[in-house]
Amino acid sequence: MNSSSYIAALEISGGAVLVFALLTLWRRDVKANVRMLRLQGVSLACVAGVLALHQHDLGLAVTAVLVLSVKGFVAPELLHRVVRRDPRSRETAPLVNVPASLVTAAALIVISYAVSTKIIALAPSPPTRLVPIGVATILVGYFMLVTRRRAVSQIIGLLLVDNGIALVTFLLTAGVPLIVELGASLDVLLVVVVLQVLLANMRERLGTTDLDQLRELRD
Amino acid sequence: MLVTLILLVPFVTGLLVFVLRWGPWIGRLMSASALAVLAMGITLSVTTSSHAPLTSLHGALRADALSSFMVVVIGVVSLLAALQTTRAMNHEILSGTTQRQASSYSVLFQVFVTCMLAAVLAANLGVMWIAVEATTISTTFLVNHRRSEKSFEAAWKYVILCSVGIALAFLGTVLIYFAALHAGNGSHSVATLDWTSLMKVAPRLDPGVVRLALAILVLGYGTKVGLAPMHSWLPDAHGQAPAPISALMSGVLLTVAFYALLRFKAIADIALGINFPRYLFIVVGLASLLVASAMLIAQRDYKRMLAYSSVEHMGLLTLGAAAGGPLAIAAVLLHVLGHGMTKSVLFLASGEIHHDEGTTAIAQVNSLIARRPMLGGIFGVAMLSLLGFPPFSLFVSELNMARAELDAGLWWVVLISLGCLGVIFASMASHARSMLLGPSAVPASNDAPRSVVVPLVGALLACAVIGVSSWPLLSLLHDAAKVLLP
Amino acid sequence: MILAATSLVYSIGTSLLQLVLLTLGAPVLLGVMDKLRARAEGRRGASVLQPLRDIRKLMSKQRLRAHFSSAVLPVAPIVLLVATVVAIAIAPLASTQPLLAPSADIYVIVYLLLTGSIALALAGLDAGTAFGGMGSSRAMTISALAEPALLVAVLALSIQAGTSNVPTIISRTLANPTMLSSPTRLLALVAILIVVIAETGRIPVDNPSTHLELTMIHEAMILEYSGADLGLVSIASAMRLGLLFALVANLFVPWGIATDTSIGGLAMGVVWLAVKTSVIGVGVSFMEVHRAKLRLFRVPELLAGGFVLSILAVVTGLVTR
Repeated sequence: MNSSSYIAALEISGGAVLVFALLTLWRRDVKANVRMLRLQGVSLACVAGVLALHQHDLGLAVTAVLVLSVKGFVAPELLHRVVRRDPRSRETAPLVNVPASLVTAAALIVISYAVSTKIIALAPSPPTRLVPIGVATILVGYFMLVTRRRAVSQIIGLLLVDNGIALVTFLLTAGVPLIVELGASLDVLLVVVVLQVLLANMRERLGTTDLDQLRELRD
Repeated sequence: MLVTLILLVPFVTGLLVFVLRWGPWIGRLMSASALAVLAMGITLSVTTSSHAPLTSLHGALRADALSSFMVVVIGVVSLLAALQTTRAMNHEILSGTTQRQASSYSVLFQVFVTCMLAAVLAANLGVMWIAVEATTISTTFLVNHRRSEKSFEAAWKYVILCSVGIALAFLGTVLIYFAALHAGNGSHSVATLDWTSLMKVAPRLDPGVVRLALAILVLGYGTKVGLAPMHSWLPDAHGQAPAPISALMSGVLLTVAFYALLRFKAIADIALGINFPRYLFIVVGLASLLVASAMLIAQRDYKRMLAYSSVEHMGLLTLGAAAGGPLAIAAVLLHVLGHGMTKSVLFLASGEIHHDEGTTAIAQVNSLIARRPMLGGIFGVAMLSLLGFPPFSLFVSELNMARAELDAGLWWVVLISLGCLGVIFASMASHARSMLLGPSAVPASNDAPRSVVVPLVGALLACAVIGVSSWPLLSLLHDAAKVLLP
Repeated sequence: MILAATSLVYSIGTSLLQLVLLTLGAPVLLGVMDKLRARAEGRRGASVLQPLRDIRKLMSKQRLRAHFSSAVLPVAPIVLLVATVVAIAIAPLASTQPLLAPSADIYVIVYLLLTGSIALALAGLDAGTAFGGMGSSRAMTISALAEPALLVAVLALSIQAGTSNVPTIISRTLANPTMLSSPTRLLALVAILIVVIAETGRIPVDNPSTHLELTMIHEAMILEYSGADLGLVSIASAMRLGLLFALVANLFVPWGIATDTSIGGLAMGVVWLAVKTSVIGVGVSFMEVHRAKLRLFRVPELLAGGFVLSILAVVTGLVTR
């Protein structure tokens, strides 16, 4: 893989991760958001794959496959099941309206650029230059987590944060040691499973997954 | 071998529990396992304080004096919690949960303890992160044990907040790894998250990146420690979980996460000099103290009161760590032990109170000492210990942390924290008084059985003994503190 | 000296050619789009020359002006037309060397177009009727979101090319085509397309073929115009649409534009311009057939999305520079 097409592939797949994060903020339809999440997982795996090809790193290639299966397929599939079983929560109910959240997202992107300057300065290379994109994905995920009241949307926000962190990890260090990566992927999967079970229980017992209904624990 | 065994014992016990299902003797099995962990922890402490750190599993596990000390703390608190498991589960079953929930409770209990042990014994900071994350996963269903609306809310908040926090901690860990990758001039750089090699390259880490990493780590692990403003999951989760789990979470889970922060702070201290980490820790520490004192004044629920008191104590620990130096770290570790024991006694006692009185509202519990002298007495004495009365060990550790802070020239921090402690003291004392004192029309009856009284009184006695003469621990604490100093 | 004179003549010729082309071509483009839409909907549709005929008919008709209207009403169409004409004259459409090419800054062009929008919005308010005011208010709401997006997207383009001069951006892109596949360019393209759709009042933002009071924007603003005034507004709006489509085409598919001063090159440039612009027009009209108009309060969401994408374009432009 020659260097300019390597950089282009990296930029496009990295940029796609953030674009899909923004699209989840844009669309209200939860089903569409799950689809975006799936595409984001695939783009993330592409980033890992491109890096693995360029550096001839077998561990990273394994990681790419792992990411593709966990973040591209299994986790979104689990979410998809939750959404399918819960027709009433098809539309998210954002606390902040969509234009305002998108404008906030724009501000977050700028902030993440400012935050990342120190990191880029330490080791300027094509992958590290893209770190602001990962940081922005994390911040957008956070924002989604804070401003959405549907349970599924919060899980999506959590996974956005997670994908952003994974992107930063790949860009900065071409992946942490494989054992840590394995553990981290497994953890993500388990968290999603735990949340899914929790939601299923919640729906069974309380008949809703609207978190606004849960407001008893207050001081 | 010993190190591996420490992990294996609770894990295998967990498997056994899984196969055998819930039975009245399961609690005894779990207690035996916790006792074994405690015994091995003490052996380990003795070994590592006089010799080099032990490693195991090709260097994946590593026990230095600090880890061994944490193993002892986990051993003590999990023993206390395991001893109450049978009784707590019987109470829960009476109030409507099933036997199946009780079995899954005991399995998850063991998994939870194993994860905490793995976190403190991991040689690699990445593996430590995985273990801390695994504690969140294993405790979710423990928090949601009752499956009521409230416990769903608590569990949901807990998972979401802690997962996000812990995800951030991963980002911080990665940044440290990145800094290590680019430390020095290429030939010396080591791609590692291993604690010993990180400490070796620490002076050459890029300050800008480490500063960012430490801030993110404080935000991330700080969520799990329950430091303000990331503490909002803590009172809910502690209030909803069954008593032994509240005891474990408050007594050790918070401090295991704090242990992770201590490790990273040690690296940052070398890479950045002490100022930036110190002021970062002071900010979150003071914030926690302020939040805790504000929330305690008008607290209406005694379990939540105890939870906020944990926020307070974590704030104190953070301030102690901010001061730095051998004295401060030794005092911090002593505080970890004292707080772990006292807080678990209080949570276990409050579990009994909850069962007997059927409420967690402070206003609806009164004249406890007159009606149930043993239980009320234990709760009262433990409150005294928690509020830092001599002869209990928390008095000694708080005093020494304040001394270390003064030595470091942080008199204003001491001043502010004393102010907060005053407020907390007044409000908690008044809440406790309204619960405990007062005449009762009915004669004393239905007091706590011996199986409850003996362990709790034992733990309080231990606190007092350590407070009066810290000789069995002194050298151990200093060795543990040395681990964190360059 | 002679060389300078030749190039001046060439530049003037180019500008005039562009003007003539757009004055006649833009209404035809509109006609083509309407025709396509009609065919896709199963109608026969009017001839592609219909908009041109309409405008000619309007120009010969009498002006009627509302009672309490001020000078703004008659002046606005002229401002709109002049601004558009100047923008067309200096923009590199058929060749990279029209008149005043060195000052064909992308911001100049954007602001010329905005001047026209503002004139039109003022005119909508001038007569004091309900529909006009409503249209102006809606148009300004959309502009308030669309303009920042456009400016930031344009900033991304100029960061990437290292200049804000449109002819230079185009020639640098021609010299280095990998610039086109960079995320910056792609994101800016999406953002600019969204803005162009909004500014030209096409579906899904506005429906040019309806006078339904609940939804109309552009049509509501010009409701008070008649006769020659309406003709001016119509031709200017058509030219604006043509200019925007042509600019998008040249910024993102620059091939075919004349870069030397030969007559043959210019001729090819004209042909390519017509082809590229019609392709965009066809694309837009296909989208109009297949998409429903957005509810008015959802339009800001679309535009805010465009804004975020343009910010993202800038940031990726900065990080990958």
